[in-house]
Amino acid sequence: MSDDPQGLPEATSHRLEELEHGLFTSDLSVNEFLLIKEVGFHPLGFVMGSSIYHTGIQTRKWGQSQELTKLTEAMYNARELAMTRMEEEAAELGADGVVGVRLDVNYYEWGKDAAEFIAVGTAVKAESGVSHRNKLGKPFTSDLSGQDFWTLMQTGYIPQGLVMGTCVYHIAHRGLGQTLGSAGQNIELPNFTQALYEARELAMTRMQDEADRLGASGIVGVRLEEKSHQWGSHTIEFLSLGTAVVKTSNDVTLPTPTTIISLDN
Amino acid sequence: MSISRQLGDPPPTPVDIKAELRRAVGTLHDPQPSKMQSMTSDLSIDEELILHSVGWEPIELVCGVSLYSVPMGVWNWGQGEITSASAAYARAFEGAIDRIHRECAKAGGHGVVGVQVDRSIHRHHIDVTLLGTAVRPVGAKQVDAAHVFVSDLSARDFTLLHVSGWQPLGLAVGASFVYAPRRSIGVALQQKSQNVELTNFTEAMYAARESAMERMQSSAITMGGTGVVEVKVTEGPMDFARHAVGFAAWGTAVRLVAENHRPLKPSMVVPLDDPMTGFEATALRGN
Repeated sequence: MSDDPQGLPEATSHRLEELEHGLFTSDLSVNEFLLIKEVGFHPLGFVMGSSIYHTGIQTRKWGQSQELTKLTEAMYNARELAMTRMEEEAAELGADGVVGVRLDVNYYEWGKDAAEFIAVGTAVKAESGVSHRNKLGKPFTSDLSGQDFWTLMQTGYIPQGLVMGTCVYHIAHRGLGQTLGSAGQNIELPNFTQALYEARELAMTRMQDEADRLGASGIVGVRLEEKSHQWGSHTIEFLSLGTAVVKTSNDVTLPTPTTIISLDN
Repeated sequence: MSISRQLGDPPPTPVDIKAELRRAVGTLHDPQPSKMQSMTSDLSIDEELILHSVGWEPIELVCGVSLYSVPMGVWNWGQGEITSASAAYARAFEGAIDRIHRECAKAGGHGVVGVQVDRSIHRHHIDVTLLGTAVRPVGAKQVDAAHVFVSDLSARDFTLLHVSGWQPLGLAVGASFVYAPRRSIGVALQQKSQNVELTNFTEAMYAARESAMERMQSSAITMGGTGVVEVKVTEGPMDFARHAVGFAAWGTAVRLVAENHRPLKPSMVVPLDDPMTGFEATALRGN
C-alpha cells in the first residue's frame, strides 16, 4: 500500500481472485440475500476498506464555540480513504454497487490518538448485465439493508452513493457569571443551542453537497450521529449519513401492502 | 425423618473416577446419543412448524466441543502473524465440527441447524463449542458423518434457502492473529500534531483481516460451496495481551442445488401491532 492510497495489500488480491472464480461471500442475512436475488442482483463478495489514521492536535478556546477544522478534515479524510478502498475492492470484482455498508471507528489501546476507520459491505452485480454504476462510473454504495434495497428498487429509485458530512465542533463552556445568572430560572441557553444548531447544519449541508455532486434527486435513510470520541465532553463530532438516490423509472411495482395483526408477543 | 432414612441407607458404592473419565473421553470419539425415542431441540414452535412444512423434522440437540492448546508465550512479543495461534484456532474448529458431525450422524440427522458458535480465546488454549439441532427429511435413513452439514443459520433461514433451491454445506471459518506494529518514539513525536494515515498499521490490520476472510473462503471452496452467507467478522485486541489483535470470520457455506434459483415473490405487509415506543427522558439530553 505504502504511500499510494490507491493500492490494496497483497492478501486482498488473493482473496478477490477466489471471489472472481464464482464463490461469493456476504454478511447479508438469508432474508437479505434472497431479496437481493429477487430484484435481479447477485452478491459477489464481502468487501472492505480500512485506514488507521492519526488525528492531529488543535487548540480550543475554553469560552469559544468553533469548528475544529483540522479534526473535521481528519475524520473526513480517514473515512474517505476507507470508503475508496472498499469501492476499489468492489470495482475489482466488477460490481455494480455495494449494499449494506457500515462505517465503524475502532480505537486500540496501543494507539490512543490513532483510530481505525473501517467500511464494510457486500458487493452486488446485476444478473441482467445492465450496468447500474453511478454517474461517476463507480460502483454505487449504500447503507441500506437488503430489505430497504428491495423496497427502493420496487419504487423505481436506484442508489447512487453513500453520502456523508461531518463537522467536529467545540462548544464553549459557560462562564461562572452566566451559570450563576441562570441558576434557578427557566431559560434557553442560546450559546449552546446555537453551537449545536450550527454544527448539525454544517454536517448536513456537506452531506447534501456530496449528493449534489452525484446528481441525486434525494437522500434516504439519513442518520445523524453525535460522538465525542476521545476528545472530552465539549468537543463533538456530528456525522450525517444517508444514501443518495435517483429516480430511474416511473413505474412502481410495489404490491399493495397487506395489513396484518401478528399474534405473537 | 428424612435424615434417619438416609442414615439407614446402605453406603453408596464408591465411584471409580478414572473409569468415569475414560468413559467420558471415549464418548468424545464415539458419541452416544441418548436412547430416548422422543426428540429434543432448542427450536421454537414456529421454527419446528416451518421445518415440517418443507418436510424436515428436528431429531436431537447435538454438540461438538474442542479445546486446543496454544504454545506458551506466543502472545508476548514478535512481528507479523502469530501463526501458532492461527493454527490452533483452525484446529479447535476442525475438532468441534468433526465431533458435531459424528454426533449428528449417530443421531440419524442429515444436518445441524441453528448452531450456536461459542469461541473463547485464552492465553493457553482456545476453546470452541458448537450446539445445535440435528434435522433430517421426515423418516429419512442415516447418512455418513461426512455428508452431514452444519450451519449457524436458524431453522427459518434454512427453510427459506431450501425453498429457493439452496442448501447449506457447512461452517466456513477463518482466523488470523497478528502483533500490532509499533512506532518508534521519533516517528510518534514527529506525527504528534499531524493528520496522517499510519500506513504500516493500516497495512498490518488490513492484511490480517483479509487473510482471515481468505481462509474462510478457502474452507468454503473445499466444501464445494458457491457462496458464504451471514458472514460475521469479529476483531479486537486480546484481553490478556493488548498488543495481539485477533480477526475471525465465519459463515455458512451454501450451494445452489436446484437447477435455478427459485424466486420467493415476497408480499408487503404492514403490521398493526402497537408500536413499541416509550417515553425516555434520557433521550432529551441529546445523548
